[in-house]
Amino acid sequence: MAPTPSASRTLPSWRFWLPLVCQAALILAIPAQSLHTQLTGRTVILKTAPVDPYDLLRGYSVTLSYDISRVDTLRQLPGWSEFERQRSANSEWPATRFFYLVLEAPGVASTNPPSPWRAVRISGDRPTNLVENQVILRGQIGNNTVPDGLELQGRTSNNTVQYGLERYYIPEDQRDAINQNINTAQANQATQPIVVEVKVDAQGNAVPLSFWVTLGKASAKQTYHYQF
Amino acid sequence: MPSDKFRYQLRQEAEYWRRDGLIDATQYQQIAERYQFNTLETAARNRFTLVLIGLGSILVGLAVITFVAANWQEWPRSVKMTLLLSLFVGVNTAGFYLWRQRYTFGTERWQQRLGQGLLLLGTLVLGANLALMAQMFQVNGPSHELYLVWGLGVMAMAYSLRLTSLGVVAILLLGLGYWQAFFNWGTLELGSIWLRWFLQYMPLCIALLTVPLAYWCRSRVIFALGAIAVISAFEGNLSVLGLNYDRLIAETPWLSAIAFALPPALLWAYDDTFWAEGGQHRLSNLETHRPFHWLARSLALLFLSVLLYWLSFHGFWDGQVTYYPTTIPETFNALWANVTVLLGLTLLEWLYLARQAKGRSPRRPLELSTPVMASFIGILAGLPFLPQGGEFMPAIATFTVNVLLFLLGAGLIREGIASGQRRNFWLGMTLFVLQTLSRLFEYSTSLVFKSFVLLLCGLGVIAIGLWYERYIRTLSTHSRLSVTPNPTEGEN
Repeated sequence: MAPTPSASRTLPSWRFWLPLVCQAALILAIPAQSLHTQLTGRTVILKTAPVDPYDLLRGYSVTLSYDISRVDTLRQLPGWSEFERQRSANSEWPATRFFYLVLEAPGVASTNPPSPWRAVRISGDRPTNLVENQVILRGQIGNNTVPDGLELQGRTSNNTVQYGLERYYIPEDQRDAINQNINTAQANQATQPIVVEVKVDAQGNAVPLSFWVTLGKASAKQTYHYQF
Repeated sequence: MPSDKFRYQLRQEAEYWRRDGLIDATQYQQIAERYQFNTLETAARNRFTLVLIGLGSILVGLAVITFVAANWQEWPRSVKMTLLLSLFVGVNTAGFYLWRQRYTFGTERWQQRLGQGLLLLGTLVLGANLALMAQMFQVNGPSHELYLVWGLGVMAMAYSLRLTSLGVVAILLLGLGYWQAFFNWGTLELGSIWLRWFLQYMPLCIALLTVPLAYWCRSRVIFALGAIAVISAFEGNLSVLGLNYDRLIAETPWLSAIAFALPPALLWAYDDTFWAEGGQHRLSNLETHRPFHWLARSLALLFLSVLLYWLSFHGFWDGQVTYYPTTIPETFNALWANVTVLLGLTLLEWLYLARQAKGRSPRRPLELSTPVMASFIGILAGLPFLPQGGEFMPAIATFTVNVLLFLLGAGLIREGIASGQRRNFWLGMTLFVLQTLSRLFEYSTSLVFKSFVLLLCGLGVIAIGLWYERYIRTLSTHSRLSVTPNPTEGEN
């Protein structure tokens, strides 16, 4: 690449340091948000949905979907019809919209693995009147079909629900062990084998912290806890 | 600064001149000093060193990142963060201070080359930092956001240091981010509002980012990449609206007219002096240089060629309307902003072009091509307005586009012959052959006939090519000097 004329000895240092500080700010913004959530957030346990074991482990990350990631689950919650009405009235490109899920702590505490929280309500606006054992989790629902009828052109209707909790990066040396445990657990359809611990802050942002994999039936139960 | 190639040739020639007695030893010495013949060998060596340094720094960077990743679980997060950040700051700082040193005439010193290599490596480290931070803190974001943020970061550095290489990297990253998002637009995950806004206004944003940078760095590469990015993002945003153009034609003919006509019109009428006109004070050096005028025209021709070839298939115009929805979603407000601004700019450019043409002598050969171009664009824009339904519209549209494609090919060949430009000539030839072959395989079924046409095409290309390269090229290099400045081969 040809040298540019300004590249002389007189180029002041701030011309380098200013963009470098901007770049560093971009880098540091990532942990800042995450740390804020981890420090100020409340711990919530989520139950995963049965997933395809072959789709679970991709490279160095685990891909999980939750019970509350399924639109069918959300549809049964109070507030869904109102949220749906808001969404269709006020869709923008891309046709996604935030929603807030109110989660409630389970009655019994301190089991191993801990019992998952239960979704009790959904709304398009941030709920304010929460009781002590409730938190809000912010999610986003995406919709592939903006104009009705376009499925005929090969684009199928595919609602996706995302909470920013769908991927865990795992250490290289634990990969095989985790993979094996998850596969074994998935083969056992009777129990719900995976629960995930997340931290949720007041705005509804969430970060994943750890997950438990349970192997075997109730009598000879074995639980593995993976922390990140 | 004269290119190394030129200086090599000059040195060779000057030695002949001295040997033949055309110049004496003093004059040779003067030329040698003026063009720094003594730095020629080191320049070649330096370039080789730069390649090695560049490769080496990338490998070193990858080694460090892999080392960090290998010790992922043993080290606490703070150690990993410190290591990554100090690598980021260290590589960039070293790069900057090495690169900033003073140039000597004709060649860069090794420090500059190493510095630029390190600054490029710094962009890689920035990306690695962003990605690894997200992994470390379990931040789940869609991958297009990584590329967009990364690209914007590199863009800031490119502007500040006025470095072409960083600008190119930034445009490539932004483009990568845009197309990643484009192909997954229905499933944009928990994305940031800002980046989605950026994607919506991508054609305008990328134009604002790249065109000034091209002038600032005086880089044709940045201008070309930027123009391609603007046009492709514009077409991308338009097609997100309709998902594909068939539907656009069926529903909103004027929108597909814009999709077809706006990019070539915008690029064809692009004139560097246009900005000087709009500004408060005239930029006098633009008047004489017009660095990107011809480049934009070449891109307009290229766009038109590709578009006409694409539209020349009967299947494109055929068989729509049946199962398309009747309403366009009223949600693409950003689209109107993109269209309005670019359309307004195009109109202003054409007004400016018309006013300029009035003041000039009509004998300049390339002024004649503008009315031709305008009528091409006009016809293209009119096609979607043909009455829909039945066989009439596809037949007329396909025929018209094929005629236009043929005329464009012929015009390019003619232009190539007239001005001795190999590029236009061969673009025209390619269009001809492509058109013939495509129509052949689209309509005819007889194999014997196909082989006959193929044979004719092949022989024709060989014959015309040989003839062109043998005679016209040699003839025109003599005549060209006196006729017109070479439009597409400006400075590099």
